[in-house]
Amino acid sequence: MLRFRLAIKNLLSAGTRTWLSASILALACLIMVMYMGVLQGWNTQAKTDAINWQFGQGEIRSPKYDPYDPFTIDDGHAVIPAGAEGEAVPILVRQASIYPQGRLQNITLQGLPKHQNLLSIPTGKFTTEKEGVIPVVIGKRMAKTANLKVGDMTTLRWRDKGGTFDAAQVLVADIFRTNVPEADMGILWLDIDKLYEMTGLRGEASYLVLSNAGYHKNVPSWNYISKETLLEPLEAMVAAESIGAYVIFFILTGLAALAIFDTQVLSIFRRQKEIGTFIALGMTRKQVVRMFTIEGTSLSFFGVILAAIVGIPFGVWLKSTGVSLGKPTEAMNINMAQTIYPVFGTSLILGTVIIIVGISALVSYLPARKIAHMEPTLALKGKIQ
Amino acid sequence: MEEIISIKNVVKRFPVGDGFFTALQDINLEFKKGEFAGLVGPSGSGKTTLLNIIGSLDTPTEGEAIVIGKDISKLSHQQSADLRNHNVGFIFQEYHLLPVYTVYENVEFALLLQNIGAAERKKAVMEALDWVGLTHKKDSKPDKLSGGESQRVAVARAIVKRPAILLADEPSANLDAENAHNIMKVMKKLNEELDTTFIFSTHDEKVMQYLDRIVHLKDGRIEKDEMMKAKYGVHGAH
Ligand SMILES: Nc1ncnc2c1ncn2[C@@H]1O[C@H](COP(=O)(O)OP(=O)(O)OP(=O)(O)O)[C@@H](O)[C@H]1O
Ligand SMILES: [Mg+2]
Repeated sequence: MLRFRLAIKNLLSAGTRTWLSASILALACLIMVMYMGVLQGWNTQAKTDAINWQFGQGEIRSPKYDPYDPFTIDDGHAVIPAGAEGEAVPILVRQASIYPQGRLQNITLQGLPKHQNLLSIPTGKFTTEKEGVIPVVIGKRMAKTANLKVGDMTTLRWRDKGGTFDAAQVLVADIFRTNVPEADMGILWLDIDKLYEMTGLRGEASYLVLSNAGYHKNVPSWNYISKETLLEPLEAMVAAESIGAYVIFFILTGLAALAIFDTQVLSIFRRQKEIGTFIALGMTRKQVVRMFTIEGTSLSFFGVILAAIVGIPFGVWLKSTGVSLGKPTEAMNINMAQTIYPVFGTSLILGTVIIIVGISALVSYLPARKIAHMEPTLALKGKIQ
Repeated sequence: MEEIISIKNVVKRFPVGDGFFTALQDINLEFKKGEFAGLVGPSGSGKTTLLNIIGSLDTPTEGEAIVIGKDISKLSHQQSADLRNHNVGFIFQEYHLLPVYTVYENVEFALLLQNIGAAERKKAVMEALDWVGLTHKKDSKPDKLSGGESQRVAVARAIVKRPAILLADEPSANLDAENAHNIMKVMKKLNEELDTTFIFSTHDEKVMQYLDRIVHLKDGRIEKDEMMKAKYGVHGAH
């Protein structure tokens, strides 16, 4: 308490230098928390969207199906296991091509039940009054590459169960907007029953999106991929982005640390008579070391308080309005919403504060150690070089 | 009267270049409780060195310095800090006040080190400031004080913990005549009222006339040890 009071008074009397170092620390703290908060917000959004549009609570894949190998699509289907209803949504994948404006474009057809509410794909729109046309829904990116609008029709060519080509008109019944490019690019979504009619694969699916993760235990022959595994690439992408935050954070913290170190070295040299006095008054050298360490470290408390004064209102505002990253995100084909709502977790804030205080304590302590070897008689005379 | 400081065959050598410089040579001295004594001698005669040893800021190279029953050479850092904290007060030529603290806080500091409770602390600080006549300046910072006032704060800081021994190294060197007399009167009064042992280092005539005993040092040796009471009377000349 005594040391703390003295430390604060000493710091305040040091003036500009103190505030400059504290401001740099505050800036480091703010940038770290804001940057990481936005990334955390993105992470949350991307995961939520991926779950809602793609992964559900995990997948089980039919034994021959591998989504990363297009050659497996042809044979990658199997009869939907018993008891899947209510536990999972079946998706049947087939390769096909469309001819918007007469140009061939290879796509995948993904059939799923009209009445499902696990995935956000607007399956309720799989309807049309027109006879002989197949209603499909597509995402905005697909609509753009194929230059299709709601109500447009185009020719679809696919192989039926005999392996021979068949063709029909598809009607774009709806265009949805999603942050998940994997649910959008190159995909025509349609009613699985319709796809059964077209392919003769009634009752079969390429993979099941689980609404109940535990269901996979009933079907050991299908390949279970947990939600966590499916989300790993997203986590990795966000983690890669956070490197930038760390770099800026450590550069700024490093600058502040240098300033603190420098201030400490100088003040220990300049205040040796004071140090001698403390010892004459009955402090041990260790206590004086501790006092100077606390003094340097207190600077980081100023920094943190400063950061809180600026950062809390700013953070609250940012949390409510979100961070708008503008249009380009859609073209980047990564799972990122246009507006991201930052998430400021306790561990992020606490971790940042602990690192800042810890580094400050270290660079305050290192020069202060010198005091432990000072001769008090020389210090009192101010004769230590 | 009991002995409070006992110096036996003390030698102090400082390393200088390749060799040594002998600052104190075979010193034998005793001080009794309540003495008002001074070390007098030319510059470099070893006055400060001896005071530092008595105050446990330094240790003798040879010999024994026993202060309040404790052998200075055998104390740990903690023990010597405790000795200074509780039993020895220092007053320096340059005052050495803590610049960021107010007068009150400077005086309070020693008591905070002793973990003394707030109420008791306040009482002791105000009493010490009263002794030196500075209660009205208690909220001032050292840089707003005159030299005389600063030295009185230093006296209050040294005396507030009621140490058995008060060591004053050239306390009047930066003071004018009037302030030098003032500070000496204050200390003489404390010596009489609290029975604190005072040891000065000085070459100031104004200080010397208050002393009951003068130990003359020259080149690190005791040249003469004279009792002054006969010369100046019991309470010194004023
Ligand atoms: N740490 C040290 N290293 C080397 N020599 C020292 C050291 N401290 C003191 N001395 C020397 O010891 C001698 C005695 O010093 P001391 O400070 O005790 O003298 P003093 O009587 O107090 O003098 P002054 O009246 O100038 O204060 C001096 O010659 C001084 O140079
Ligand atoms: Mg001296």
